[in-house]
Amino acid sequence: MNTDQILTEIREANLSYLMLAQSLIRSDRDQALFRLGISEENAAMLALLSPAQMMKIASGSTLLCRFRMDDDLVWGLLASHGKGGAANDTTSRLHASILMAGRHREAA
Amino acid sequence: MRVKSILTEARQIERAVTLINLGARLQVLESETDLSYERLLRLYKEVAGKSPSKGQLPFSTDWFMTWQPNIHASLFLNIHEYLNKVSELDEIDAVIKAYQLYQEQTTAQGLEGLLSVTRAWRLVKFVDNGMFTMTPCSKCGGHFVTHPHEIAKHYVCGLCSPPARAGKGKAAGGIKMH
Repeated sequence: MNTDQILTEIREANLSYLMLAQSLIRSDRDQALFRLGISEENAAMLALLSPAQMMKIASGSTLLCRFRMDDDLVWGLLASHGKGGAANDTTSRLHASILMAGRHREAA
Repeated sequence: MRVKSILTEARQIERAVTLINLGARLQVLESETDLSYERLLRLYKEVAGKSPSKGQLPFSTDWFMTWQPNIHASLFLNIHEYLNKVSELDEIDAVIKAYQLYQEQTTAQGLEGLLSVTRAWRLVKFVDNGMFTMTPCSKCGGHFVTHPHEIAKHYVCGLCSPPARAGKGKAAGGIKMH
């Protein structure tokens, strides 16, 4: 990938993210806060963005959304390379869901 | 108490319809709306196309302590707490929204939605009454539904240390450990 390609792909990803986030927030704000893992203030800002603003924000050299599994435990459960086959796939993901749903500190 | 405002009433009917669609028992509707029993009954028949089930609500707290139900209940309650922390919702709306998210997750993972909306609603009441609380697992740190006097230092959740025969069943839609 050359620089132009990278920038284009980042812009597209940013734009999809912003559009998805906005439609989630507009259809059900509270559930969107859970799905997106963002604070109410950020959601309020996102909901008000105009298409032109979105284009502007999306075109940069960095991604706007960030990785939410910043610890080995959840990551291991999701990628199933944690406990070496003690639990099956679905169960690991369920476990990860419980752990992630319990993390409201990052949002609030 | 009779509702005076038409707008309030409209909102209550909407709530009731959502709850009926989620499979709530009539008792939940009676307790969470100010609509009369007769109107709720009619609404129920109209929305669900059948008469509501009769009989007592599941009131036992033991159910939530068994292995699989505890995991389902914990997932729901974590989502519920999350919603309550990040936004200000009426109590019943928080239950509805959290339940929808819970249902979504279990369906997406091919699990049977073991926790009914009526049970979910009871669970929230049990927590409010101090009959249940959430205790962090000493191994994974996840929060799980427990009795309030659980000793946090030694508590290990059902997923980190499942009971001997847990998750060995063949039933489709169950949580499996193999």
